[in-house]
Amino acid sequence: MTEFLNWLQFVLSPQMINGLSIGVAVILMALGLTIIFGLLDVINMAHGEFYALGAYVAVALLGLGLPFWWALALVPLAMLLVGYATERLLIQRVFDSKDRHTLTLLLTLGFGIVLEDVLKIFFGANPLRVETPVAGATEVVGLFFPNYRLFLMLFGGALIAAVWLIVFRTRLGAIVRAAAFDRHMAGSLGVPVARVYALTFAFGVALAGLSGVLLAPIYSVFPTMGRDFVLMAFSVVIVGGMGSIKGAVIAGLLLTQIQSISSLYISPVWSDPLLFGIMVLVLMWRPQGLFGRLGHA
Amino acid sequence: MREAVLAVSPAAARIVRPRVMQWLTWLFFGGALLFAAIAALAGDVFFYRLATEALIFGGLSLAVDVLLGRTGLLPLGHALFFGLGAYVSGLVLKHWAPSLPLALAVVFVAALVTGVVAGIIAIRAKGVYFALISFGLAQVVSKVVFNTRELGASDGIIGIPVLTLGAGPLALDLGHAPTLFMVTLAFVGALYAVTAWLMDTPLGRLLSAVKANEHRVPFLGFDPWRVKLGGFTYSAIAAALSGALYPVLRGFVSPELLFFQVSVNAIINVIVGGTGTLIGALYGSVLLTGLKSVVGSFTAHHLIVIGLVFMASVVFFPRGLIGYAAPVLQRWLDYRAAQRSAR
Amino acid sequence: MKQLKHISIVVALACAGTAHGQGSQPIRVGVVTPLSGTYAGIGQQVKWGLDLAAKEINDAGGVMGRKLELIYEDEEANPAVATQKAEKLFQVNKVDFLTGTVNSGSTLAVGQVAERNQRLIATTVSFADSITGDKCSPNVFRVNARAGMQSAALAEWLSKEKPNANVFYLGPDYEMGRSTVAAFKAAAEGKGARTVGEIFAPLDNKDYSPYLGQIRAARPTVFYTSVAGNDTVRLFTQLSEFGLDRNLQIVGASGTVTSQNLPAIGKAAEGFVTGVGYSPLIDSPENKKFVAAFQAAYKALPDLYGADSYGVLYFYKAAVEKAKSTDTDKVRAAMRDLEWSTPQGVKKMRAGDHQAMQDMYVVRVTDGQFRIVGKVPAAAAIGPDTCTKF
Repeated sequence: MTEFLNWLQFVLSPQMINGLSIGVAVILMALGLTIIFGLLDVINMAHGEFYALGAYVAVALLGLGLPFWWALALVPLAMLLVGYATERLLIQRVFDSKDRHTLTLLLTLGFGIVLEDVLKIFFGANPLRVETPVAGATEVVGLFFPNYRLFLMLFGGALIAAVWLIVFRTRLGAIVRAAAFDRHMAGSLGVPVARVYALTFAFGVALAGLSGVLLAPIYSVFPTMGRDFVLMAFSVVIVGGMGSIKGAVIAGLLLTQIQSISSLYISPVWSDPLLFGIMVLVLMWRPQGLFGRLGHA
Repeated sequence: MREAVLAVSPAAARIVRPRVMQWLTWLFFGGALLFAAIAALAGDVFFYRLATEALIFGGLSLAVDVLLGRTGLLPLGHALFFGLGAYVSGLVLKHWAPSLPLALAVVFVAALVTGVVAGIIAIRAKGVYFALISFGLAQVVSKVVFNTRELGASDGIIGIPVLTLGAGPLALDLGHAPTLFMVTLAFVGALYAVTAWLMDTPLGRLLSAVKANEHRVPFLGFDPWRVKLGGFTYSAIAAALSGALYPVLRGFVSPELLFFQVSVNAIINVIVGGTGTLIGALYGSVLLTGLKSVVGSFTAHHLIVIGLVFMASVVFFPRGLIGYAAPVLQRWLDYRAAQRSAR
Repeated sequence: MKQLKHISIVVALACAGTAHGQGSQPIRVGVVTPLSGTYAGIGQQVKWGLDLAAKEINDAGGVMGRKLELIYEDEEANPAVATQKAEKLFQVNKVDFLTGTVNSGSTLAVGQVAERNQRLIATTVSFADSITGDKCSPNVFRVNARAGMQSAALAEWLSKEKPNANVFYLGPDYEMGRSTVAAFKAAAEGKGARTVGEIFAPLDNKDYSPYLGQIRAARPTVFYTSVAGNDTVRLFTQLSEFGLDRNLQIVGASGTVTSQNLPAIGKAAEGFVTGVGYSPLIDSPENKKFVAAFQAAYKALPDLYGADSYGVLYFYKAAVEKAKSTDTDKVRAAMRDLEWSTPQGVKKMRAGDHQAMQDMYVVRVTDGQFRIVGKVPAAAAIGPDTCTKF
């Protein structure tokens, strides 16, 4: 019995808590992606590059001497602008065509390629460091966890709750959901649909950028960092249901826990194929994901 | 009769007469032969090989166009089949027998099997989901190959011998750049011919029907799932056969041939060349290979140029190079025909 | 008549000009190196080293009176692109010699291109043993230290500093990562170390925290890793985050901590020890002169890639001068058993496998610098000649 409790305390729970901290990061990425798809029906293949851009903007701000918390506050604002501009200047142009899914996927794919190279030009190809703002470690269930990761879990959790609140409990959120459900009706009720769309895209991009800042002290900053999360974020979004916030959160937690616990038993290199396999199975048997779409279910 | 109908209907402006496409096709292959003649006179080797490489990737792009342009499925991971063809071909040539027909036969069978399996997994999904499954499959397989020591792991396989095709007085030395170019041109030409012919058969027409409106197809008595699987398998085989030529050209294979970059390049070729036009994929491949080589010599940031060209294509020229050239050419031909009949 | 005389004078002058020009035509050296992509930092050091050496050689009169001309092409760390660019350099630019490839796949593939074009190449970065081992080629030379040499030096140091230590291994799960770990493990166990655990994480893994529990439970005194680039930054940062780097001697491959990722790792790299062929702190007059010139020209310290690339042009110069020609077969014969002077001392090119022999250094990262804490002579470090192709 004690052996089992020991295993529970010293082996399983650290893995689960680790999985939780990774999970929060993945959920933040997936949230932006799912909101953009759920509302705009746009597949944003450049999401990883926006994540990287957020981290780089933070590096630039820190380079100017600002403390980390300022960067945390300013980066989302900067990314809102970037996202708004991208939506208006790029996405809008292919938005009204019949092949919207394919065209936006391709357009954002091309944009991601260009953005990655631009980052390389301005910041160089070598990795950059962002100092951990919350140093030290705390003892939790007999093991040490870095304080910053605990902070990340709390802050991330609060952020996710805030997003949910905004979308489901505010008037703004209701307007956004209405525009997602029926844009013409919403438009005829006086909702500035085009602006709402642009703002939503900007919001999703801001979430990605914010994740970039939050994760920079743990994962460091380099031009191809966007690729870290691509497969994982898309898997979470698909399993959870494209456009469902609840789905992104639950699928995010589920998949990262599976990944964390399975790494105890199987070779780490099989965790990606495992997740991909789960995604494929979900797509084959329940293509709309675990939960429905924003505004639709 | 068909032409009269086409000329009358208002939508005719967007429908291109088949003759124009044939004209453009002959232009491509004629241009290739002209290039071959010039390069032979100049005694060049590098540009021959560069052109051969463009043709090989053109074959992959052609396969992608069958899916994207004709069936309406976006494959983000078609490099899987290209790399599969390359590796299988390389292994056969190095370890079994240095015979190109044998390698192509083995690749055909391997691609058929893999294509059907992958198709069954992927076809259920539609649109974006299909693209992501295709992407994921390529990622997983490329990682496996990257780690497998028997396949050379991250270094790939070198030492694939230079081949001789045929025997006796008809022997073709494939180490000789012009010979290899002509053989590849013939091969890609045959691939294009078969694909174009296929598009005119009932299966090909069904693919277009599925692209236009998948839900109506069952009402016509056909199973869209089977149609898509057929198209997917054909595309997989075409991609793999093109990939099979790669080790013949370069003498090695490496896991980078399975990476996302290769899939993306093929898609860019198709979009820039003209989605759905088939010959556009070949034009696109030649154009972009040339562009990359030229720009790459001036700056290390050629990805920005390619990315911008791609984005401009998607936004401003969605029908691609051939998509715009063909109607223009058609109007000119009409004008000439009208002038001739007026006289 | 007068016109004909004018023409003939012009023609005569032109001929004389060309004849003279033959002798002072530059020797072209092609460089296929990653100038974009993940390895762009390494490619930058390679370019700096080569440019500096070319400038010095040309200022001193060139090679046999002919200037060296470097022609660069970007290989994007992709063998498919590298072979295309190498062929361009050989066929269109007609280079006499080629260097600059970074990853071993590219070096092997370009070596094959060199064989088919009857030219020689040298690598200054690739450290896979196979390049001068089972996949050796008569047209490929290596002037940098190979993986086996690095392991030998490090294992030697370890057996002295931490005899019979408990070692935990962590490597990236691909061929290079696994074989590097295996090579060091063999060398270390041969000198009395004990293995207490081994993990292979995926390449480009972002979070090592799932494995930290295992590492902690094994209670190692020494931790060996063969990760590189961004993976090192993450691994070291996370080890430090979780407090695992206390009372743990971290050692690794020479590519694990380099000038490209050291600034990003910061304090977490302190105390890291590795076996390597170069350190900017080598105390010799040639190295001091080299480092000073490098810093003056580029405002950055050279690392092993820069130093070895600097050395390769002097290697080529010495070989051409010994052979008195740039003909491939003559230069190849001259290169075998050639000794030449480099910032790391005198290197000798072993004829049997085209691997350069040099003294290996053991360095520790102290205050952000690679301080030398040990040295292993060339003969002890080189290892056996396993090349059977020539």
